[in-house]
Amino acid sequence: MSQKQRVDQQPGFVLHTHPWRETSLIVEVFSRDHGRVAVVAKGARRPMSALRGVIMAFQPLLLDWSGGGEMKTLVRAERCGGQPLLAGRALMCGYYLNELLVRLTAREDPHAALFDAYARAIATLGRGEPQEPVLRRFELALLRELGYGIGLASDSDSGAPLDPRADYVYIIERGPVPLPEDAGDLPATSGQTLLDMERDDFSRPETLVQSKTLLRMLINHYLGGQILQSRRVLKELLEL
Amino acid sequence: MSSPSSLDELIEALRALPSVGPKSAQRMAYHLLQRDQRGAGRLARALAHALEVLRHCERCNTFSETDICQRCANPQRDHSLLCVVEMPADLAMMEQTQLYNGLYYVLMGRLSPLDGIGPRELRLDKLLARASDGAVKEVILATNFTNEGEATAHVIAELLAARGVRVSRLSRGVPVGGELEHTDSGTIAQALVERRAL
Ligand SMILES: [Zn+2]
Repeated sequence: MSQKQRVDQQPGFVLHTHPWRETSLIVEVFSRDHGRVAVVAKGARRPMSALRGVIMAFQPLLLDWSGGGEMKTLVRAERCGGQPLLAGRALMCGYYLNELLVRLTAREDPHAALFDAYARAIATLGRGEPQEPVLRRFELALLRELGYGIGLASDSDSGAPLDPRADYVYIIERGPVPLPEDAGDLPATSGQTLLDMERDDFSRPETLVQSKTLLRMLINHYLGGQILQSRRVLKELLEL
Repeated sequence: MSSPSSLDELIEALRALPSVGPKSAQRMAYHLLQRDQRGAGRLARALAHALEVLRHCERCNTFSETDICQRCANPQRDHSLLCVVEMPADLAMMEQTQLYNGLYYVLMGRLSPLDGIGPRELRLDKLLARASDGAVKEVILATNFTNEGEATAHVIAELLAARGVRVSRLSRGVPVGGELEHTDSGTIAQALVERRAL
C-alpha cells in the first residue's frame, strides 16, 4: 500500500522534462534529500501556467510535491535565488552533467553530497569560470558518491603511496598499478595527476588532460554501453 | 462488443495530434461524426489539400505552396537580414512588431541534447547554406529564451561566426510594462548580467 507523502520546500534542480498528457509535464528533478524523483507538473504547458517559467533546468528551485508512488505530483515550485542562465559552452556542459545524473543515479536514492557538488558546479558554470575543472570535479564526485570507490592515493597492488614521478595504469574496480614495461598503448596516468585528483587540485594542464581520459574511461564503464546523447551532439557540432 | 474498425481507425489517427490521448481522441471522433459532419468533411478535405500542396520553402524552411514562398520572393524585403526562429508561430510574432523587414529562417524545432536532437536532426546544414548565400550580411538569432533556445542560438552563432557571418541575438530583460517587484528573480539576475552602459 502506498503511503501518502508530502515533501515541502525541497531544494532541487530540473534535470529534464517530457510532455505528459494534454497540458502537463513529467519533470525529472534532482533533489537534495530525495535524490532523483519524477514529478508531474499538471497544466505546466498551458500558456498562462505559473509553473511555466519556473520549471527550468540549471536554476535552483524549492519544490513541494506529494504522493508515495513512483510518480509524484508537483504542488509548488519557486525559484530560490536568481542565477543567470547558463550560456554558450557552459550550457552544453550543464546538459552533460544532467545526462550523467539521469543515466547513472537511481530514482529516490538520496545523495546530499552529490547534490551540493552539482549545485556548486552549476553556480561555477554560471559565473563563466573555466569549464573543464568543473566537469572533472563533478565526474569524480559522482563516481565516488555512487560508491564506486575510486582510489587515487595508493598503489592498489602494494598499498604503497603513489610516486608523483611514476606512471600508473588505472585498473577498473581496483585502482592504480605501476605501468608495466609492456604496457603497449594502455593510457598512462602520472602519479602526480592521481594525487592532484585526490587533493581536488586541477590547476596543472597535464592533470586536466590525463584526468579527462581516466574519468571518461570510468564513466563509460559504469554507463555500461549507454550512449550519452549530449556527448554525441557535441561531437556532431565539431564535425559541422 | 467492439466498435467498427473505421471508427477505431479514426480515433487512432486523431492521436497523431500533439498531446491528444485516447480519451480526447475518442471525444473528437464522436463530435466530428455525430455533431459536425460538415466540419468533419471540411477538415478532411483541408488536410488532404494541405498535404498535397504544402512543402517547405527552399529559402526559409517554413510552409509554402511554392518552392520559394511569397515573403522570400518579395524584393521589397531586406535580403541582407536573416532572422532565425524556432517555429512558424515565432515568425508570426516577429511580423506583428512591424519593425522587421528582413527575411527569416524557421528551424521547425530546437536543439535538445538530452533528447538526442542535435544539428543533424535540426538540419543545420541547410541553414548554414542559406546564411552563406552572399546576400545575407547579418543573422539575427530569435530563438526562445529557454535553455534549449539558448543552446540552439549558441551553436548557430558558433557555426556562422566560423564562416565569417555577422551574428546578433535578440536582447532580453524585464518585460515592457514590467515592474521589478513583480518580475521573477531569474529575469532580474539575467537583466543585471546583461546590463548596458548609459
Ligand atoms: Zn520562404
